[in-house]
Amino acid sequence: MSALPLARPAVEPDTAPGPPASLWSDAWRRLRRNRVAVPAAFFLAFVSMLALFAPWLSGLADPAAQDLRLGATWPSVAHWFGTDELGRDAFARVVYGGRISLLVGLVGTLVSLVIGVSWGAVAGYAGGKLDELMMRVVDVLYALPNIFLVILLLVFFSRSLLMLFVALGLVQWLTMARIVRGQVLSLKQQTFVEAARALGATDPSIVFRHIVPNTLGPVIVYTTLTVPAVILQEAFLSFLGLGVQPPAASWGTLVSDGARVLALFPWLVLFPGLALSLTLLAFNFLGDGLRDALDPQDRRESA
Amino acid sequence: MLRLRRVLLVAAALLATGCAPRGDAVRAAAHGPLYFGDVTPPRANVLRYNNGAEPETIDPGLATGQPDGRLVRTLFEGLTVSDPRTLEPLPGQAYRWERSADGLTCTFHLRPGLRWSDGTPLTARDFVWSWLRVLRPETGAKYGGLLHPVAGAEAFNRGELKDEAKVGLAAPDESTLVVRLAQPTPYFLHLTSLPPCLPAPRHVVERWQERWTLPGHIVSNGAFVLATWRQNDRFELARNPRYWDAGHVRLDRVTAYSIEDLNTATNLYKAGALDWNTSGYVPSPFIPYLRAYSDFRSGPYQAVYFYSISVTRAPFDDVWVRRALNYAVDRNAIARDLLKGTREPWGNLTPRGYPDYRRPPGLSYDPEKARACLARAGYPGGKGFRRIAILFNTSEDHKRIAEAIQAMWTRVLGIPVELQNMEWGSYMQASTALQYDVARRSWIGDYLDPGTFLEIMRTGDGNNRTGWRDPRYDRLLRDAAVELDAARRMEQLAAAESLLLADGPVIPIYHYATAELVKPYVRGVHQNALDTHPLKDIWIDRGWRRGAPPLAGRATPEDRRSSIVRVAGTQPGFAGPPPAGGPRPRRAADGPPGTASR
Amino acid sequence: MTAFVLRRLLLFVPTLWVIATLTFFMVRLAPGGPFNAERDIPQAAREQLMRQYGLDRPLGEQYVTFLANAVRLDFGPSYKFPTRQVREIIAEGFRVSAELGGWALLVAVLLGVPIGVIAALRQNSALDAAAMAAALAGVSVPNFVLGPLLVLVFSLTLYWLPPALWQGPESRVLPVLTLATAYVAYVARLTRAGMLEVLRQDFIRTARAKGLPERRVVFQHALKLGVLPVVSYLGPAAAGLIMGSLVVEQIFAVPGLGRYLVNGAFNRDYTLVMGVVLFYAGFLMALNLLVDVAYAWLDPRVELR
Repeated sequence: MSALPLARPAVEPDTAPGPPASLWSDAWRRLRRNRVAVPAAFFLAFVSMLALFAPWLSGLADPAAQDLRLGATWPSVAHWFGTDELGRDAFARVVYGGRISLLVGLVGTLVSLVIGVSWGAVAGYAGGKLDELMMRVVDVLYALPNIFLVILLLVFFSRSLLMLFVALGLVQWLTMARIVRGQVLSLKQQTFVEAARALGATDPSIVFRHIVPNTLGPVIVYTTLTVPAVILQEAFLSFLGLGVQPPAASWGTLVSDGARVLALFPWLVLFPGLALSLTLLAFNFLGDGLRDALDPQDRRESA
Repeated sequence: MLRLRRVLLVAAALLATGCAPRGDAVRAAAHGPLYFGDVTPPRANVLRYNNGAEPETIDPGLATGQPDGRLVRTLFEGLTVSDPRTLEPLPGQAYRWERSADGLTCTFHLRPGLRWSDGTPLTARDFVWSWLRVLRPETGAKYGGLLHPVAGAEAFNRGELKDEAKVGLAAPDESTLVVRLAQPTPYFLHLTSLPPCLPAPRHVVERWQERWTLPGHIVSNGAFVLATWRQNDRFELARNPRYWDAGHVRLDRVTAYSIEDLNTATNLYKAGALDWNTSGYVPSPFIPYLRAYSDFRSGPYQAVYFYSISVTRAPFDDVWVRRALNYAVDRNAIARDLLKGTREPWGNLTPRGYPDYRRPPGLSYDPEKARACLARAGYPGGKGFRRIAILFNTSEDHKRIAEAIQAMWTRVLGIPVELQNMEWGSYMQASTALQYDVARRSWIGDYLDPGTFLEIMRTGDGNNRTGWRDPRYDRLLRDAAVELDAARRMEQLAAAESLLLADGPVIPIYHYATAELVKPYVRGVHQNALDTHPLKDIWIDRGWRRGAPPLAGRATPEDRRSSIVRVAGTQPGFAGPPPAGGPRPRRAADGPPGTASR
Repeated sequence: MTAFVLRRLLLFVPTLWVIATLTFFMVRLAPGGPFNAERDIPQAAREQLMRQYGLDRPLGEQYVTFLANAVRLDFGPSYKFPTRQVREIIAEGFRVSAELGGWALLVAVLLGVPIGVIAALRQNSALDAAAMAAALAGVSVPNFVLGPLLVLVFSLTLYWLPPALWQGPESRVLPVLTLATAYVAYVARLTRAGMLEVLRQDFIRTARAKGLPERRVVFQHALKLGVLPVVSYLGPAAAGLIMGSLVVEQIFAVPGLGRYLVNGAFNRDYTLVMGVVLFYAGFLMALNLLVDVAYAWLDPRVELR
């Protein structure tokens, strides 16, 4: 969604294509030296591990176990993040919320990635009338207040987790398509494409075997920045009541529910809010780091 | 990191000082009664209250929702008005009425010299026209059913009867309205104060059509008239100088805000921008904490929260399954623990507050019995029971309760339960089309009679929404409708309810309570079971700190004098000409209050 | 230039038609209808309402009627608020939304650009890191948390500002701030990136070599090109502000248009939804065109085709 378009000018269409494969190791070295991106990556790895292995963590309370008589309580030794109004352990809810938020972020991004890359690559490679038509479609969808598209999709096709992935992915692919198209436009003039064609490669194999892999740099950067945008979008949908079905709760659900009782039970917004914000921050730091590492211009500058 | 640090600092400060309401409570405890936030009265003699979500219409004939109704009943006045404390019908536009011995004829006598706010005389013919307008199918009035007790009205409303002269309404002269009823309908007088029975100005409606309620067009007959309206924001009302009792209307102006968000409304109240946050707009998690404040008020509200079961679907076509679900709901835990005692656990469909009605014993929590019922239905220990879903519309409150009940059914019965949270449009569709297993419902009574609740479960009633039908139930309701003996009628209704509860198409959960915040300087807001508050009786007491107990309802003569002095002194723009016929004594002391049969 | 604008304006027509068609059928196929109410509407009344709004006609016919009326900007009365034409609701609501969004955008630019410029001039310093971290933090806090937090602190604890309502200048502060925060951050980041790119370029080096004071180099030469990414971002930003305003309008009881979009969809208020979606689509397209023109005007290297 264009609400939080995280594309930076460096990865906008019509900029230089990504680095040749020989420079990947160079980029990797640069990334490892980044003082912000590396901790961010470690943080994300930690959060992902916690979310992934939550069901097997001994000592973690059952996030669905209620104690109505207990109700909402302040953080304590027994409940690190306190309990919510149904007496459920807020720490367990945050950990399990991370499972959903990260899953939505990753799968939603993946959907947008698949559509965006294919769309942009085909349009850029085909050129001419088809390109014109395909990009016009992108323009039309850009103009639609796309939150409305998401609402309609969720209303019309029931509220499954799967639909949430698709709906969020569907509105995120537009920028990706533009970036990839811009890359492809400049790549297809290059000699290795000519060479492949001379060797008798078919169009689909040229696009997906030779061109797409070479757009990887900007795509990776933009993907890293799309994940937090999708997570935030899901949080927004939760605020509207269109998030995942209860009793499951994403960070977005926890935060928007918590914000309504901010004055009474501040811990119910503080901890999921921190989890959400820190994760978004980490993704953004990592994306910035990747861009710095992969951006040829910067490399020239420091060389 | 700066911003993040700031957020953390603020959060830490919050954690340190504790939650806002509680913090205030502690601070103010030393100085007598506690009030929630600012208690400075407004500068002008004006009431600023939250009317709730943006009203769909303020056409009395078309209004349905509570926000609509509150405004409509401020702008328009019916034959009767309901007493803000007892809900007894009091004289309104009619100053007296008679009822025939068979209960089938009501004759209303209008006050002499009644006028619309534009000066046009208001006569009994206006009532006949307005009521017929509501009943005419072309009007598309959603609430026409309330007029069905009038003879011929139901058929006319359905379009089966074409001749409006056959509807039991007549105006033999300018000030007399004769209503013939199809059935004795003991609560009929209550109905005459409700929106569909309020008069609409024919000359304005016919001139402006559906746009007649816009400011500049609208003409009304109540204590206030509409001055301005800002979409999704507020209605400004001014005193109606042509109202028959204008001399006793004590506010110069009223600002009715259209604030939908509960937290926002409560924040505004705390900051002193609202004088009154009406019931339904206080977020329920705050209620337990607000009970410490003197300006918070709560009392029973004639409404019941329940779950309905789609009985045409397997396995709910089995009465034992329905009973099992019913017995497995721990209403005490929901009302006392989850809702912190802000609601009363309730096992009946009809609420409390009908003095002559002997409610059958309600359903209660009994896990043993629940399991036995489920076993009897063929699912011992929940084995073989399909996954069922609880449907509710998006709301934090509905969600919490659904989560709690989901856990109870899983724990007690061992059956798989999932939750289905839908936005409003889809929820309505699923629940009316019976495309659900168990659905969140609630019902608010229109008038003080158990019939207003029991009627909805009649076979084929549009509000039934369970597919449940029982000829015995229908017969009991039919018999009750024509029963002249009040005590017998109540027995028949009670028999119907116990039949309903035994068959279990509904799972009552809790009895609603009103919860409102009223600044101590606002006088005359009375708590009642229908949560109706005529603004006419409300006034701002600048000297509230002196003497009078903070929540005293009735104005003392002393109070009234001071208020009138201020009315004359300030706000000349809103002070109209003296009311036609001069000031009248207060309603309560007015002409003989008819023979209200109850 | 004129040809470019004309061509883009011509493209509005098919684009709006596609959007109109898409939303028309999506809204209609969604379950439920506008006349389902918690308290049941009698059958006769429901049929009458359906007739009155032409909902009893075949869907294809309704679609044609809708298109014919939409061309004249006539969307009919709202189903939920029958006294009001959709056109009036949009006109009244948008005035408020536009003011809210306009202020937010202004705040975003007035705060974001200086922060970005300073960060770029002090690249890799602690100040740069701090500014950028703050900017990132700004986008990482959802506005439905930021809003209540600001209210709690400034309205309910300090009693400095009203917690909601749209009356008087002081009531604008919190909603505008809540809406603007994320955009301050974006604008700052874009400005920084843009400035860094420009400052590397040859003409800047030349200007410095000629001995021009740094102040003039930055403000007269670099800034104009450095803020270009911000200009091209204003289009998407406006779209984002619309979404943000849904939240802000609800939290602060601002009588704008955003809430109608969501509530219209939930209530199946077909005419209202169609009107608001088409209006926003047209508005966003016009804004994007304006941004393109402004971009070309600011950057002589860009030629509009």
